Formats: sequence, structure tokens, C-alpha cells
Amino acid sequence: MKNKIITKSIKSILCVALFGAMFTGCEKDFLNVQPTDRVSNASILNDQTLFEAYVINRYLGVKLTNKEGDSNQPGFGRTFEWAMWSSLTDESIYNNDDNTWLIQQGQLSPENLGIAGTLWGRSYRGIREVNYALNNIGKVPMSDSRKSLLTAELKFIRAFRYQDLIRNYGKVVLLGDKVSELGNDFSDPSLFDRRPIDECMTYVVNQLDEAATGLPTANSSDYGEGRATKGAALALKSRLLLYAASPLYNNDVSDTQKWAKAAAAAKAVMDLGIYSLYTGGYANLFTTAGSNSEYIFARFYNVSARHLPLEIANGPNGYSAWGGNLPLQNLVDDYEMADGTPFSWSNPTEASAPYDNRDPRFAATVIYNGLLYRGRNAEYFLPGGKDSSDGKDNWNTSKTGYNLRKFMRDDLPIDNPWDVGGQQNWIHFRYGEILLNYAEAQNEAVGPDASVYSAIHLIRARAGMPDFPAGLTKEQMRDRVRHERRIELAFEEHRFYDVRRWKIASVTENKPAQGIIVRKQTGGSFTYELKNAIPGRSFQNQHYWLPIPRSEIQASNNKLEQNPGY
Amino acid sequence: MNITTFSKTKILLQGKMLIFLCLSLAWSPIHAGEKTISTTKIDFLKLKIKGRVTSSKDRLPLPGATVTVKGTAIAALTDMDGNFEIAADSGDVLVFTSIGFKTKELLLNDQTKIAISLEEDSTSLEEVVVVGYGTKKKATLTGSVSELAGKEIVKSPQVNISNALAGRVSGVIANNRSGEPGYDDSSISIRGLATTGNNDVLVVVDGIPGQIGGLSRLSPQEIESITVLKDASAAIYGSRAANGVILVTTKKGKKNSKLNVSYNNDEGFASPTRLPNMAVAPTYATIRNEIAYYNNNAGGSNQIYTADQINKFRNGSDPINYPNTNWVKEGLKNMSTVSQHNLNIQGGSESTNYFVSLGKVAQEGLYVNGATKYSQYNVRTNIDSNINERLKVGVSLSGRKEDRQYPTTGAGDIFRSLYRAFPTSPGIYPNGLPSTGIENNNPLIQATDAGGLNTNPTYVFNGIARGSYDFGFLKGLSLDGFFSADISDSFSRSFYKPYTLYTYNSTSTNYDPTIVGGGPDQQAKLTEEQFNQSMLVSNIKLNYKHKFGEHSLEAFVAYEQSESKTHKFGASRIHFPTTETPELSQGGAAATDYNNWGSSYRFTRQSYFSRVAYNFQEKYLLDLQLRIDGSSNFPVGKQFGKFPSISAAYRISKEEWFKDNVSFFDDLKLRASWGQLGNDNTAQFQFYDNYTFNNRYVIGNTVTTGIDVVKLANAGITWEVATKLDLGINARFLKNFTTELIYFQQDRTHILTNRNASIPGTTGIVNPYGGDSLVPAENIGEVKSNGIEASLGYDHKGEEFSWGVSGNITYAKNKIVFIDEAPGVLDYQKQTGNPLNTYLLYNAIGIYKTQADLDKYPHVTGATLGDLIYEDHNGDGKITADDQVRSKYGNIPQIVFGLLADASYKNFDLSVVFSGQTQVSQYVLPESGTIGNYDSSWADNRWSPSNVNGSYPKVSERASSAVSGGLYKNNFWLKDASFIRLKNIQLGYTLPSDILKKTGISNFRIYLSGSNLFTLTKVKDYDPEGTSESGQFYPQLKIFNVGFNIQF
Repeated sequence: MKNKIITKSIKSILCVALFGAMFTGCEKDFLNVQPTDRVSNASILNDQTLFEAYVINRYLGVKLTNKEGDSNQPGFGRTFEWAMWSSLTDESIYNNDDNTWLIQQGQLSPENLGIAGTLWGRSYRGIREVNYALNNIGKVPMSDSRKSLLTAELKFIRAFRYQDLIRNYGKVVLLGDKVSELGNDFSDPSLFDRRPIDECMTYVVNQLDEAATGLPTANSSDYGEGRATKGAALALKSRLLLYAASPLYNNDVSDTQKWAKAAAAAKAVMDLGIYSLYTGGYANLFTTAGSNSEYIFARFYNVSARHLPLEIANGPNGYSAWGGNLPLQNLVDDYEMADGTPFSWSNPTEASAPYDNRDPRFAATVIYNGLLYRGRNAEYFLPGGKDSSDGKDNWNTSKTGYNLRKFMRDDLPIDNPWDVGGQQNWIHFRYGEILLNYAEAQNEAVGPDASVYSAIHLIRARAGMPDFPAGLTKEQMRDRVRHERRIELAFEEHRFYDVRRWKIASVTENKPAQGIIVRKQTGGSFTYELKNAIPGRSFQNQHYWLPIPRSEIQASNNKLEQNPGY
Repeated sequence: MNITTFSKTKILLQGKMLIFLCLSLAWSPIHAGEKTISTTKIDFLKLKIKGRVTSSKDRLPLPGATVTVKGTAIAALTDMDGNFEIAADSGDVLVFTSIGFKTKELLLNDQTKIAISLEEDSTSLEEVVVVGYGTKKKATLTGSVSELAGKEIVKSPQVNISNALAGRVSGVIANNRSGEPGYDDSSISIRGLATTGNNDVLVVVDGIPGQIGGLSRLSPQEIESITVLKDASAAIYGSRAANGVILVTTKKGKKNSKLNVSYNNDEGFASPTRLPNMAVAPTYATIRNEIAYYNNNAGGSNQIYTADQINKFRNGSDPINYPNTNWVKEGLKNMSTVSQHNLNIQGGSESTNYFVSLGKVAQEGLYVNGATKYSQYNVRTNIDSNINERLKVGVSLSGRKEDRQYPTTGAGDIFRSLYRAFPTSPGIYPNGLPSTGIENNNPLIQATDAGGLNTNPTYVFNGIARGSYDFGFLKGLSLDGFFSADISDSFSRSFYKPYTLYTYNSTSTNYDPTIVGGGPDQQAKLTEEQFNQSMLVSNIKLNYKHKFGEHSLEAFVAYEQSESKTHKFGASRIHFPTTETPELSQGGAAATDYNNWGSSYRFTRQSYFSRVAYNFQEKYLLDLQLRIDGSSNFPVGKQFGKFPSISAAYRISKEEWFKDNVSFFDDLKLRASWGQLGNDNTAQFQFYDNYTFNNRYVIGNTVTTGIDVVKLANAGITWEVATKLDLGINARFLKNFTTELIYFQQDRTHILTNRNASIPGTTGIVNPYGGDSLVPAENIGEVKSNGIEASLGYDHKGEEFSWGVSGNITYAKNKIVFIDEAPGVLDYQKQTGNPLNTYLLYNAIGIYKTQADLDKYPHVTGATLGDLIYEDHNGDGKITADDQVRSKYGNIPQIVFGLLADASYKNFDLSVVFSGQTQVSQYVLPESGTIGNYDSSWADNRWSPSNVNGSYPKVSERASSAVSGGLYKNNFWLKDASFIRLKNIQLGYTLPSDILKKTGISNFRIYLSGSNLFTLTKVKDYDPEGTSESGQFYPQLKIFNVGFNIQF
């Protein structure tokens, strides 16, 4: 008692001595400072609004390397970044390299991942965050109906993260609802247990079935566009089952039943009856603000939440743009003639005017010599072409002789676009893909029946291309559907996965990356000469799957199995 | 009963303190010119001795010197004319002492008038050194403490004090990373790196730990001394002392001194220490052809430029289409100016002394027509007054305005553009129009105000009120304390204006305009930001000081608390219709044209601390310190840490047997210290999961409120601890030599570091790229360091010619004991067991010159002739990441040294400082390729099919992703960053006093000085002190300076 009083008195004396009471000394909780810019987990779980705000941001992911998420956080996949995923394929190369050439040139390894090194970490971080919400949603004061809606939404997001993992790495670690915390045993074998692909697929597809049950068919005022609907869950299921049926996922064995399941999954989306191909034109599909009937699930952008400005990043040097993702001759040559016949350099008429009378989607996807772009014709020709190496800023001159046209919005500025450009939406799932999924799977499952033709013809008709000839064999139809997919879905992050799952990458990715030299003759005519755009293009068998980053293998003390060949 | 007693005491104390407070706030007037009164009564039986004390060097009177009659308590002080009066007997010995002078004794015969001059003594053991919360006689120091006098600092023409330290103080490693006006702080570490965590040294100005405004912008002219606490003696600063402490003491007036007015002016001429020579246009054009050839062999060797075109670049016949631009030369001036003015006024009466300082600095940037400017105005008043015998109060007020002005493009980007921009592109067309440079970045224009200005005035105010009170009832017992308020307001305003660049169109022969800069849609944009910081510190300290015979005791207990706050508020607006109205109110009207942001934080500390210093005959010395620090960074229960230290010294030369037998030594001290110090410098609120709003997901065309988890909890987060041991010898021998030899070691445990490498990604605990990590800091790291500090000096004081030389060297080595590493990391690639900051690199062992080389060595996919050969370290026949090895050194030198020389002959004086470093490496890979120009050492020595013996690898699209560049980061690009440089030289001349006699000027000195005048180093293209891995930074400055000092 006495001691306490003495202590207290001494303390009081000290306080007074501190230059008076005007300075807030000796406060009991002087050291307990409350933050004003963050909340705790307790707040998240006690407040419906905060919890839902947390759920919404699960559509976003963490930035894990330079040159991604420059203007906005990454979401799923790669989407609109400097170097697009297309530049790892025979669709394009990236003019300024930015760690893409090493993949094109066969140098991809666990320690040299280029732009393909972030999917592992980002996906698992996303999965943990979703699991945290799923594990704790029970505690949140919120109506049961809202809880079941958000639960379905979270399961969709988690399934999307697993899609990013499975289609890149094959066998992945399935975590269920586990939420790891600091202090856990990080040598726990369950963290390194890569499950067979079939098991992974089954898990994710089941999750999507559960999600589809809980998700609404359409967005609404309190569940706006950009959040997953039933159609989104079914579309993701359709894609996954298509992959699951493909050769890469089945040791090259064709399993008709799997194809049938894939066809049924695509059909389920079609049968929703709410989606149809956009009728405003193929080019406008990717540039018109807002959504349309073809959208199933998309990442939306607007002036307040932008991605990087595509026009300066991808345009020709003559427009003061920086080159960017350059369509390869390999792709250009694959566009059919307007009449549906293949293009051929050995056809002298076609070779002398290679850009004339092509599939209209060509001009909507690629800027080529002579295309009217932003008020003038593009000039890739030598000598003197504004967009050639004789033009300004020739270090930005396209190495292929082409630039990207798809996604470019001519109403957005090239000069100084930083607070304006970058508003295009990235469409993760559109109805066009579903039709192609259906056609491919149905053809594999039962052969080229009428439903295969009619699905493909919808796509062809919208593009302004003639129907396929009747009486195609299954193999002929397979080639045509694959070709149609390459053209229709160019630059939409399909080709990389398609050539792998079809196991044709060892052919397509081993062809030289070609471009064109256009020479202007006296008199104004042009001649065309193929060239190598970048040297040493190479694909080896191990590259069918991405390597798991070396740092992950090391973090597991070598318990995590690396993909074969690395 | 007890309660009443204590309440009374409380009331009494309260009353006293109130008076104390009032007195400290209501300022007593200064009585300048007041006459001196001797401190003792005059004994009428004794003789009245009158005399005058002067300084032997300049014959100026010495005010405030103490005259005592030896063996008595009789003493007197000299007045401001150096005069004194004292009562003494014939046969008495008079002792004259004055701080900074050698003590002199005089036997009185019959004389009653005495003229005596005292010799200056900079190495005097009587000299008092500022230590944490007090001062100490140099002789009684037990810790490792270095001191640097203000008069040494002013010898450097650098306006930034942190750039004047290198080489001067042993144990201090100061590396200047950039010379940009306003952003040229050296990074300072004491005895090298010792932690993977925060390495900031604590700066204490006039007793205020971590004073806002810091060290570097103080005016050199207002600094009395800088003390560096390098060992456990810093433990009195507890939780913030682990990385060492720098104590800055500003000048004060002397009691009983005449008004002294001193004006100083320096005019300096600055140029870069070193810049890369970039490749010229014909060379670069050839390189472009080579790159195109490597990409597409079939296209031949002139795919970009024909031989004729290259020739045009060479002969300059067509400067519009085929220029040869030296961007660095066109963009940078040979000389830029640095100007400093300072006025110091000081003096004092018996009761009050004062010091007033006014300063002005103006410095311009290196750019031609550049917008970069730094100017500073500073004012300081330090006033101390004895209210009565017992109560002393003091006030220090200091205010500073730091005016920074820059172009809207940052220095990093301007230098990036200067080094990237191609010599084959014009900078300014012959008709005067600016070109589009590189990707619409023309550094020649970016450096000017064409794109608008960023103005950034910062106001710093530091106010300290202090007082001390001697209790009458017990001799030696006193109470002192201070209250300080620091405020810093920083305002940043950037107005981005669009401007026009041109491209010559050879077809139309027009210059096509391109509008760049500004905000969106070629309209101006304005951003304003206000950043306020404040810190309040209060301190109260109870002291006891007593001598019991030959035992001396000095002790105190103290309490201190501080509260820091910051607040940031920013707003921006775009779409300004005109550039003539740069006000937030005048921008575009759409809702999306407005933006704003802000943040704030509050941070508190509470500390209890004490020191007991004991000595016997100043022979055996012992210091004990303890600090208990509490920090709001840690959770309840973990907030307080204890930081003890003990240090002891034995002055063996005080022993009679030693004196008798070892005449070699004049003074010899052995000392040792041990202590624990803390580091609480880590982010706040890491003890629970942190969620923040991050509104980026668009739902239905609206950006929706979203929340992300940004930090996981570490409920047990607490102090980082440094355990320091020092063993030292200080000696003075053969009269003129001084030396110090120290062995030090440090074990840094509980290092606050983020676990990263060992956490598998599948846990989902994945840290973002850049920015704040998801995992909290954990007390897991451990680093051991040790080393040696040594210095040796020689001083000769002559009547006309005096000189001295000294050298110091610090060897500091550290070893990581625990850092978070992946469990599967290869042994030879581990950081554990190696020094901090080393690099993991492939070992480049040559260049593939021939196909035979390619066949002989294993190589990576894509390697071709002209690429670097990497060593197959593990001998598995493949080049993989397993072949990378750790570099021996990181970019913090293990050895730094300084060499100082001073000389004065009659009225001339010379001072020279060399500083250097070795056992240090820096990785620099320039941003070259089609993305940027090459420095000439690479361009001129590159491997190419026609130069197969080139010493540099072949050129490629981008060095950063080339096989011989960043794709396989290797030690070809790791440079030995050792150097020795003439850090500072000054030559001065003081006008003889007889010339000045009639002018009223008491002293006039002119001098020439320089900084970084030359450097010896193996690094070719960049300053070896830079840390940029691309070499793109504002270079360090070489300064020639002329100045004068005039005193009245």
C-alpha cells in the first residue's frame, strides 16, 4: 500500500516536473496508438460492408514483378500488360523484349521465367484470401441469402485461380479451405503434394458446379457487372473440361467421354439462352465501352481505374508509339482469303498483294502496310516509310512489319495518354469462345454433326466469312476448328494454351518468328520479302508446362516436384 | 498521514516548477558589456594581482579563462578583454585554464601585473567532449567516441554537411550517392552494415534525439562540434542507438565575451566528378546494324543504316538527318555555381550569453538552362542565462527554409534519357527547334522549365527550452530538463505544362510538332501536396555530482517522452484550359478531373534512463548506463526494452611506476565497453492483421470500395538488439603523437526482418513486388560483425610553422548468422555465413571468340559467339542457376580510410583530406541496346564478327535481357568500387593583424578550397560511390571554391 502510494506520488511529481500539464506526459496509454488508415481482421468480420468489400477485391491479385500491374492491380491471367501473353506464342513477339524473348527462344527455366513467373504465387495468394473469407463468412452479420451468394462468388474466384494454375503447371497442390498462417509448419507435406490433373480438374469443376448453383443468372443493382454470374461459372467449367479432354492432359489418348462432357458444358452455357454474338462488328466487340450480349465475364476498366494505355504501347513508331506486341507473319499468313481459301505465297496474285481480300478479321487485328490507321495509311515500306526504320524513333520500328490493331481505340490519344487511355475491358469469357469450345468438343465426341457446323457458322457469319463446306471429315473439321480458334480468339490468351493442349507447340513454336520487309518500288508498287524477326526461336518438350519457380522448389526443401525436363 | 506529506511535496514542487517554467518562457534581457565580477571575495591581506590573458596564436584576448590560486578555492574569470584581478601571495602558483587551451602555471614572485598567453590545445585531455545527455572530459572517456570540430567541417565547400564527413572521422562510412542539389545526402553508416534491417544512424541535435530536419541541412557555420558514439556508450539512447549515434552541438556565445560579428562568404563552382563517355553516332549506327544482323543474319550487315549513311553520321555533312549528338555535353554545363553566406553574432555577459546565426545557400543544377535550384535560408539563436545562482535557463530557436525547385521530370529520368538518347538523333535542330529525343523524352528540354516546375519549399522549426536548477540542500544535486518542439512543413507543387517537340520530315521538309508533357489531352495538370511533421520531446533529469576525496561520482536518472506526428494531404487537377492559371481552382470541371489523397500517423516513445560514472583519481574509470525504452510500435507487453551498458578504462600512465619506467608515453589508456542497444525502426501496427481500402475493381462502370489484406500479424513483434563489445587503447606518445586502436564486435540479434524466401508460395503468404511486404517484420535475423579502427596522428606546433598529419582506417566485416533463406538453397549460394549485400552472380570467364570455344564450354540456350562464357561451377556440364556464386564483397566497403594533413606557416594555412574505400563491389549494367546508347568503353571494345578479340561482349537488343547481360546476371558487370579521392583541400591566408588594426576588423581570412578534386579508381564510366545498377544517376560534384571570412 505504502509503496504504491510512494510510486504514485513520485510519478505525479515527475509529471508535474515535465514542464507542466500542458504537455500530455505520463498518460497511461501514451504508447497505445490507434491507426487511422487500416482496420483489423476483427473489423472485417464484424461489418457486412467491410466483409463484402474484402470479397470484391478477390477479383484482383497482387503484383509480383516489374512491368505488370503498372496502372492497376493484376487480376486473372496476364491481360493488358506491356508484353501480352500472345507474345509468348506464334501470334506475336514483343518489340522491346521485356523478358519475353527468352521464352520464345527456349531459355525458359525455373530460374529464368521471364513474364511467366508470377502465376504460381499470385494464384495461391488469391486462394488463401478466398479461403479466409470462406472460413469466416459464418461469423459475419449478414443475411443467409447474401452469405450463400458471396460463398458462390468466392468459389468461382478460387476456381479461376486454380484454372490459372492448372493450365500453366498441370498438376497442382490442392489446398481445400486451408488458410496458412505465420508460425505454421511450412514443411508440412500437404503444401507440396501435387495432385494428378484429373483430380485437380474434378475438384475445380465440382467447385464450379456449386458456384453455378448459388450465382444469379444476371447481374443486378446490388450485384453489378464485373462480378461472376452463373454463366461465368459455367463458361469456366466449359473451358476447363475442354482442356481436360485435350491430348496434353491425357497422355495423347483421346477420351470421347471427356470430350462429351466438355461439349455438354459448353452446351449448358448456350442453353442459358442469354448470350449471343455481338452484332456491332468483330472490331468493335473489343473497343466499345460497357458490355454487350457476348460478354459472359470480363474485367471492366474505366477512366478512374485504368490499365496501361494500349495505343502508345502497341502502335507504330511513325505515330510516336512504341511498337509493343507485334503480330507475326506466322499469324498473318493464317488469315484466309475472303472466299475461305487459304492464303499462299506461292500464289503470285496473292503474293503481290498479300493484304488484299483477306478475312475481315485480319484488318481488325493487325496493322499492316497500307492499312488506314488514325487518318493515314500505315507505312512500313522501305525506303522512307514513316513506320519503317527510316521513320522517326526507329528503335521502335516493328520488327515484324506489323502492329497490333485489335483492342486499339482510335478515340483515345497516343500522345500523353496516361490519365486517359487504358479503358478497354478485358473479356475473360465471351460467347464466341463457348461456340468454339462446343464445336471442338462435339466434333471430337461425336464428329462433325450439324450442331458443330451451326456453332462455327455463327462465328464465321459474324466475321463475314463463308460457311465451311459440307461433308468435312472429323479430322478436317478438327483442323478447321483449330484454325478458326486461332483467328477468332487471336491475342485473347488462348493460343498459348491451345497449342500446348493440342500438343502442336513443338511444331508451331519451333517455326522461325517471321516478319516482312516491304519494299516500295519506283512507280509505287510494293514487293514483299519474309525475314526473321527475332533469332533462335525454339520450343522444347519440357515447355509444354511452365516450370515451377526455382525459389518455390527451394522453399519446399526440394519436396515440391518440378515439372519434367527442367 | 503519508498522503498529506507527499501532497505537500507535490504542491511545493509544482510551485517551483511553475516558476521555473515562467522564467524559461519569459526571457530575461541580455546585458551586453556587463563588467566581470570575480567569483571570490578578495582577501585584503593578499596582493592584488592584475593581468591579461591572451591566446598565443592570434594574440587576441581570452575571455572566460579561469585563474586559480593553486591549492585554494580562490579563482577569478577573465573579462571580455582578457583582464582579471585576483588576490594571491608571492610564492603562490597561479593556474590558468581555458577550454581548448593548454593549462599554464605561473609562480608568483613579486610581480602584480601579469601578461600571459595560452597555447591552443586541440588534443588536450582537458578538452570536453559532448556525450549522450552530458559532457565528459576527453581523459575520462570510457567509450569509443569520435569528435569533429565545427571548424573542420567548414573547410569543406559542400553545402550538405553529410558530404563533409568522409575521411575525417574513423568508423564513419559516408558515401555520397548523388549530387543533385537538395537530394545529395550521403548515406552514413557507423562501422559498416550490421543488420539486414534498418541501418539509419540516430542523429541528436542539441540533445534532441531524432530532431526533425536532421543533420545534413544544418549550416556548417552554426556547428560547434559533431560527436559520434560508436560503441555501447550510445546505449543511453537505448532503442534507437543500435546503428550508432551522431551528436550535433550548435555554437553558443561565451560568457563574458565581447560582441563578435563574423561574416563568411563562399563561392563555389561545381562540375560532375565523372560522367560516362557515350558512343558516337557512326559507332552507334554500326551497332544498330550489328544487332539487326544478329537478329536476322539473312538480312546482312546494313539492315538499318547503309555505309553511306554511317559516313554521313561521321562527316557531319547532313546535321539534320544524320547528326552526331553528344547528349551529355549538350545537356550539362561545365560549371554550376554554389554560393554560401553566413553571419554569426555572438557574445555574452556574466549572466547571459548569446549566439545568433544567419545563413543563405544558393545552388544551381548542372543542366544547361536547367530549372534545378536549391536555396536555403537559416537562422538560429542560442541563448543561455543564469537567472540566479541556482537557476539557469536556455532557449534555442532555429528556423530554416529549404527551397527546392526542379523540372517536372526527375533527375533519374533526365539522366536516364541523357544516357539512353541516341547519338544518331538530333538534340536541338540547327534551326533551334528541339527534337523528340528518345520516345518524346528530350532531356535537353526535360531539364528546363518548359514542362513546368516542381517547387518544394520546406520549413523547419526547432525550438528547445531548457533549464537547470541546483538544489541548495545537497551540494551537487541538480535537476534539469528540456522541452522541444520540432515542426516541419513541406509543400510540393508541380505544374505540368505541355510543350512541343519536333520531328524533321524529310519528305515534306517540315518540322512536325508533337505536344508532350502536361497532363492528359495536352493540357496542363497541377499537383499539390502538403506534408507536415511534428515532434514534441520532454525530458526531466535529476543529477548528482560529487567528489569524495579522490573518488568522483556523477550520476543521473531521467525520464523522457516523445510524440511524433505526420500528416500528408494532396490534391491534383487536370485539364487546365490554360497554363496561365496554375491554381487548383482553375482546372477542368469534370468530376474525374479532381483527385485527392492523404494520410497521417502518430508515434510515441517513453523512456527511463540513468547513468552512473565513477572514477578514482581519473585513473580507474567506470560508467554504467541503463535505458528502459517504450515504443508504440510494439504490442502491449512487448513495448518496453532494457538497454544496459558498462564501460571501464584504466589510465595506466597515471600510475607512478609507469611514469617512472615508460617515458615514451605521455598518456596511455586501456578501455573496454559492453552494452546492449536497440533498434525499433520498423513499420507500425504489425502486431495484428492489417486491412486497407484499395479501390480498384470496377463494378458496373464504377470503381468499387474494395479491401485487401496488406499485413499479416506478428503478435510478438519487439526490439532488435545489438550487443556491442569494444576494446580500445588511446595513447599520446613522444609528445606529438596520438593514436587510437580499437577492436570492436557486435552481435545483432532479433533483427526485424521479413520472412520471405522460406515461405512456400502454396501457403498463399506471398509478398508483393515492391511496396510493403505482406509478412510482418519478425525478430529472426542475426548478424555478427567485428573489425578494427585505428588512427595515428602527429602534430607539430611551432611559432611560425605548425603542421600535423593523421590517418585513420576502419575495417568492418560482417557475417550473416541468420537470414531467412529457403531450406533448399545450395550451400555455396547461401547468404548465411557471408557478408551483407553480396551479389549472386554467374562467373564470367571469357568471351566465346570462336566456334571452338562454343563447342568447348557448356553454354546456355541462345548463347552465340561474342557472348560471355559462364563458369560451370558445379561441373554438371550445363549452365544453370546452380552455377551462380556469391560475390566476395557487397556495395558497402569493408575498409574505409582517411588521410588528413594540416599545416600553417605564418599567415598561411593548408588543410587536406583524402578519403578512400576498398573491399567493395558495385554492379553496373548500362541500359544499352536498341533501348539506349552505349558507353564508349563497351561500344569501342565490343566483340563483333570483325573484332573477335573485343574485351566486352557483343551488343544486343537490350543489355538487361541479353545472355551476356541481365538474363544471366554475372560478375563481368561487377566493378571493384575501390577509390581514393581528394575529398577536401583548403588553402587560407589570414591578413596580419597590424594591417587590420585601423580598420576595425579583427580578423580577415581568404581561402581557396575544393571537394572531390580528383579520384583514383578502376571504375571507368561512373562515380564509384554511386549505387545505381544502371549507372543512371545525378553525378556527384567536384567543387572549386573561393571564400573569405571577416570578423569584427
